[in-house]
Amino acid sequence: MSDATELVEEPIDTSHTMRGEIRRTSDQVRARRAATSRLMMVLCCAALAAAAVPLVALIYQLVKQGVPEISAGFFTHLPTTPTLLAPNATGGISNAIIGTLALTLYASILAIPVGVLVGVYLAETESKLATSLRVVSQTMAGAPSILMGLFAFSFIVHDLNVGFSSIAGSFALAVLMLPVIIISTEIAVRNVPYTLREAGLALGAKSHKVSMRIVLPSSISGIVTGVILAISRAVGETAPVLLVIGGGFTNSWKPFDPVSAMPLSIFENAKSEWPSQRAQVWGIALVLVAFIFVVSLTARIWASRKQQVRN
Amino acid sequence: MTEITSETETAPTPAERGPIAMQLRNVAVSFHGRVAVRDCTFDVAKNRVTSLIGPSGSGKTTLLRALNRLHDLTPGAKVSGQISLEGVDIYRGNITVTELRTRVGMVFQRPNPFPTMSIYDNVVSGLRFNGIKKKSLLDESAEASLRSAALWDSVSSRLKVAASNLSGGEQQRLCIARALALDPEVLLMDEPTSALDPIATLHIEELMKTLKSRVTVVIVTHNMQQAARISDDCAFLLMGEDRAGELIEFDTTEKIFNNPLDSRTLDYTLGRFG
Repeated sequence: MSDATELVEEPIDTSHTMRGEIRRTSDQVRARRAATSRLMMVLCCAALAAAAVPLVALIYQLVKQGVPEISAGFFTHLPTTPTLLAPNATGGISNAIIGTLALTLYASILAIPVGVLVGVYLAETESKLATSLRVVSQTMAGAPSILMGLFAFSFIVHDLNVGFSSIAGSFALAVLMLPVIIISTEIAVRNVPYTLREAGLALGAKSHKVSMRIVLPSSISGIVTGVILAISRAVGETAPVLLVIGGGFTNSWKPFDPVSAMPLSIFENAKSEWPSQRAQVWGIALVLVAFIFVVSLTARIWASRKQQVRN
Repeated sequence: MTEITSETETAPTPAERGPIAMQLRNVAVSFHGRVAVRDCTFDVAKNRVTSLIGPSGSGKTTLLRALNRLHDLTPGAKVSGQISLEGVDIYRGNITVTELRTRVGMVFQRPNPFPTMSIYDNVVSGLRFNGIKKKSLLDESAEASLRSAALWDSVSSRLKVAASNLSGGEQQRLCIARALALDPEVLLMDEPTSALDPIATLHIEELMKTLKSRVTVVIVTHNMQQAARISDDCAFLLMGEDRAGELIEFDTTEKIFNNPLDSRTLDYTLGRFG
């Protein structure tokens, strides 16, 4: 491309024209950019590998050690303590599965309606109250999760005298989920174009109807994403439930019974003196990861269907 | 400009233009104390199309949005002067803002059907917002409104389909149907064809001509030919030296385009600026 004059039909001397200058410069620039582009590509691939290796290794370990632990009884039996005569009798984790499901269910019932409504309120109003709520929820999002456990212990278990129970654990998890739901709902609602609100107002709709009937349905996929994020986080949390659910050895859905939870079982079994119980943690971890995977996959499919209706 | 009708013999007297739907007296809109448009005094005659024309920044849309109190929710917005609908002051008189908006409908610049609703739900949404639930009434209104908007034939078989599946022109007609479902007295249109192709534009323009038998239309348009083709009366606005829009001239469209009083109106309609 050094001889740029070949390209023009009427050969003109471009050596001193701005056009020639631009062509020569742009050739250099193009070569430099191509080199930069190749370098960045290499760096990106390296970064990808660095990120993927630990993740793949983790999943490999999880499946390799977890799968042998899983059997039908693993899901349906209560845990048993191994003895010298039966060192491998670890039983199942039915109490932890039911406990986790119950905790997640009650925590969702407590946190989702409140979180979504507060998020809509923050997005739709400008007031001192909204600003302080926003600051509080952002601060709460960064608070250490053991704090929620301590709070639930002193307030629900002790002060209200409810005792160790799944409702106390659900309360701690709900407090943990709230800021995530509030913040993501606010963002999703704010992303709804103002023209849609105006269209509703111009039809004589009151602003709360515009919020509930137009804005909320239009932002549902963003809200669902936030809710899944909150649930996935809550399901895997150990610290908030550690102090308050009591680690019950029964299968109970009742809110005021002590329950166990999968993260808690992992924590307890990992400390066990029995190798068989220590091996069992991989089975529990695999079930827990599979559960989170199914929850988020289902919700994402649902949200994308909802999205398709719109497009 | 208040005296415009008395300044010349050829200006239309109220009797010639028929009864008045909306009256504007010294209307001005400001945002945080900064005037965006002022000195607007004219009458919107019933069952006629009134167009608001003028270059960008002359306050056409701002003025239009004052007519259904859409500035109410804008922080710092203030509307002064008097606007009345059938003799009732819409800002201070005995009329709620929701009632006003059911009587003065609006179609926006870009088609804005509710994306999560079907075609049917979009058309009847205004009725539902205002508490009408009876299925037979909703069905009846949906068909009548879609027919009025010349959309019934193409969508009657797929009323439950999401409104976002329609083309841009169809979406805009859906928005017109949605506004018509409330049976408004006045329909405000804010550059309703600026986002549409020429064919869709033609459809909407023809629609407007048929609509005026049942509804008074006030339309903002950038397109001079459109104003000349479809409107009966015309308000020309221009940005003043302090960057605030003001009404330069109001008259019948014929007069504005052929024999305006103000030389600036002539310059603008001839395309010499703007």
